[in-house]
Amino acid sequence: MKVFLVGAGQVGTTIVEALHEEHELTVLDTDSTRLTSLSYAYDVRTVEADGASRRALAGAGVADTDLFLACTSRDEVNLVAASFARVEAPSATTVIRTANVEYIDLWREGRLDVDFVVSSERETAHAIARVIGVPAALETDVFADGQVQIVEFDVTEGASPDVVGPPLRNARIPADSRIASIISGESMILPRGDAVIRPGDRLVVIGSPESAQEWSKLLSPGGGTVDDVVVYGGGQVGAAIARQLLEQRIGVRVIEPSRERAWRLAEELPEVRVYQATGLDPDFVERERIGQAQAAVFAMREDALNHYAATLARVHGVPFTIAIVHDAIAREVYEHSGIDVTVNPRQVTAEEIVRFAHDPRTQQVAMLEGNRFEVLDITTKPTSEYVGLRFRDMPIRGALIGAIVRDGRAVFPRSDDVLQAGDRVIVFTETSRVPVVEKVL
Amino acid sequence: VGPRSTGLAVDVRAATSLCGTLLKYLSASALFPAAIALGYRENPLPFLAAGAIAAATGLALERVGSSAGISFREGYLVVVATWLLASAYGALPYLLSGEEQVDRPVDAFFEAMSGFTTTGGTILTDIESLDQSLLMWRQFTHWLGGMGIIVLALAVLPRLRVGGRQLLESEMPGPEVEPLIDRIRGTAQRLWLLYVALTAVEAAVFTLFGVVGVDRRMGWFEAVSAAFSTLPTGGFMPENRSWEEFAAASQWVAVGFMVLAGANLAVTYRAIMRRQPGLPFRDEEVRIYLAVLTAAGALLAMELASEGVQEGEAAIRHGAFQAISIMTTTGFATVDYTAWPTLAALTLIVLMFVGGSAGSTSGSIKIVRHLLLGKALRRELRQTVHPELVLPVRFNGAVIDERALRGVTSFILLYLGVFALGAAVIAVDTAIQGPGLSAIDVIAASASMLGNVGPGFGDANPMGTFAGFSDVSTLTMTALMWLGRLEVIPLVVLATRHYWRV
Repeated sequence: MKVFLVGAGQVGTTIVEALHEEHELTVLDTDSTRLTSLSYAYDVRTVEADGASRRALAGAGVADTDLFLACTSRDEVNLVAASFARVEAPSATTVIRTANVEYIDLWREGRLDVDFVVSSERETAHAIARVIGVPAALETDVFADGQVQIVEFDVTEGASPDVVGPPLRNARIPADSRIASIISGESMILPRGDAVIRPGDRLVVIGSPESAQEWSKLLSPGGGTVDDVVVYGGGQVGAAIARQLLEQRIGVRVIEPSRERAWRLAEELPEVRVYQATGLDPDFVERERIGQAQAAVFAMREDALNHYAATLARVHGVPFTIAIVHDAIAREVYEHSGIDVTVNPRQVTAEEIVRFAHDPRTQQVAMLEGNRFEVLDITTKPTSEYVGLRFRDMPIRGALIGAIVRDGRAVFPRSDDVLQAGDRVIVFTETSRVPVVEKVL
Repeated sequence: VGPRSTGLAVDVRAATSLCGTLLKYLSASALFPAAIALGYRENPLPFLAAGAIAAATGLALERVGSSAGISFREGYLVVVATWLLASAYGALPYLLSGEEQVDRPVDAFFEAMSGFTTTGGTILTDIESLDQSLLMWRQFTHWLGGMGIIVLALAVLPRLRVGGRQLLESEMPGPEVEPLIDRIRGTAQRLWLLYVALTAVEAAVFTLFGVVGVDRRMGWFEAVSAAFSTLPTGGFMPENRSWEEFAAASQWVAVGFMVLAGANLAVTYRAIMRRQPGLPFRDEEVRIYLAVLTAAGALLAMELASEGVQEGEAAIRHGAFQAISIMTTTGFATVDYTAWPTLAALTLIVLMFVGGSAGSTSGSIKIVRHLLLGKALRRELRQTVHPELVLPVRFNGAVIDERALRGVTSFILLYLGVFALGAAVIAVDTAIQGPGLSAIDVIAASASMLGNVGPGFGDANPMGTFAGFSDVSTLTMTALMWLGRLEVIPLVVLATRHYWRV
């Protein structure tokens, strides 16, 4: 597939990383240093030009592209670039990145002439809200309109002996769920009946949302439901997170130092309690009982500030901390100092955009452990060698079918269920095996 | 002391000219009572002469002033001065008629101010002895003043080159005018149209009552007078004993129209135009307005019933009528409540400070301000525990601007300050010159005048008169009515040096 990418920032780079092996990529940016470092790292064509110029796009050969991705940090440039691409390459699929809620609404109403719209803020908010919904989870993703959930857990010492210790065939695994993978350090296994979960392992579970809750309780006993979350930072990301949490009926408190932004947020979301404060003053943290929150999200603009505030919150007793990463390096710092979950908006956005580069049968993609694993949602071909086979007879190719969506309903397959043509399957696999999996199914 | 600019920052000449224009057009209103006078074979000359004097004065002011347009600042001056001029004009027919009860300028001015400001307190002792045309003039001043003289001018006159919005806001009762359509003139026209329509309906209902025989006391003259007085929440009746002698059915209808007059006209307009009778009940202010009305009426009825003053339907009717009449600042009465027990009297005095809705013709503090003050106080209490919490105050779901909120607080403080000052002056004056008043009488007089309610307690009861007061008290009360109708602030602003200087 020929892919045209406008914007070589962090989002662009993550997209290139995910797509460069299988697709023919052209990257457009006005910053030559970014392009140079990109062309040294990956085999992609780079063009130094302005994406908002029709002549530049035509000159770079946009006419014969199949997929046009506009993902600069400027909404207007993305919008203009996509509308020029529509003129130059009418058959190409266009995707833009935007932070503007108005554009997203317009697109939903069908008034914006682009095929897909991806918003960093919204994707980030979704990622965080999913994690908060399953308190022990590191990362979660949903498929089939929320019927299937992919959850990543860290196994701790306190986990229930029902699942940790005995071989899997004897373990009491919650109904409607499958363990997709047990990761310990660099090694990963697709678990069989004799595999054993040990403290320190990382689990990937595919199952119904209810089973995800059960897993959460098994792996971190004592973590109840969440109804009080403190969000540090009331900017666009913070507001999107607050909005998403409210939708899930979770109580939200937001801390925002800027008077103007605090007021705007309080006016827009009356259900949210907004503090106009930095949140770094121990008196404030004590007075407002920030420590009693079940989770805190750090969505301020500076990584260092997020890091400090998160540590302060942990000192005051917040059991679960989630922080936004702006600079990729901060992730390690965060994790090292005990922040439970980190979310990189650019990574989340790139992930969302990469979904459009897959086989048209593939509906949705999630990435786990950086880019190490992917979860695909594929509709099976009638000619697939797997169709008509019982699950226990299927050849092993380093992939695991976690769930089937048949007639719009999710089914969690047992070993003697049979795969039918036209079934949508949720498959967990290593990123390098994605093309193979897409071919055989 | 540094150098001070001696130049005025207010274009007085432009304001004078505009006042002249307004007075000139207002003088046409004398034709209505003149026609009534002709119809009753009375002397129309007092009205024609008053109209002629007003027209001449208006023309003269127009000439003296400059025809330059006015801006924000002059608006205050125009509103304040126009109401003074209008009341002076309104006093002329009383003086020229030779009627003995109002032959002194102070008294005639009081009566006219009470008319235009829709207060309804009277200086007359024997109302029924007046000429029919003079009685109708009293009612007509209510009706003109209720919706606002300037609002009327904005609605009717084709080319009044003024900063419309500012004038409208200064004159319209209530903290803010919610435009019905974008243009001020269109809003003024629609409000007046609704006002005229409601008046016509009420007059028609009462006339029908008279014709059918439901209320034999009700002729067309009484019906029109009642309508002219109810919708502006005025209080004058061409009767010595207000509503006492009318039938129970008429009294209930009057209750209904008082409730309507005390509600936000813009809300009523929308409900009618969109054919959604449920619409007003979604409005926060309407809900509280109706709740307070019901509670106050029920409280009075229970007090009357338990004290044995009234019984059964009469207790409910008299309780509801008095409560609603005082709260909407109308000032009608079906009984002389002076004889009521202390608790009932105090309830009425408290109601004088409540008022109707914003955007209605009623006076006093008004429900929406109480509501906003309550919300602001609740926020203060919450912030005592959580100082950093950002808590916008909402009204009907929309966030209220902090400046507007401060405006509400200052209004209430100023209002109470003026009330206290008024009460003090009346207390001192009556102590020196008589008549002897009780503490409740003094408080009621000041609250009733400032709130444009009308009747007070003691001799100034709804069937009584303000004739017993000295000129000092009468002038003080006239000023209180003026302040109350213009909602205090425009007048107080004029009294500051910063208004006049750069």
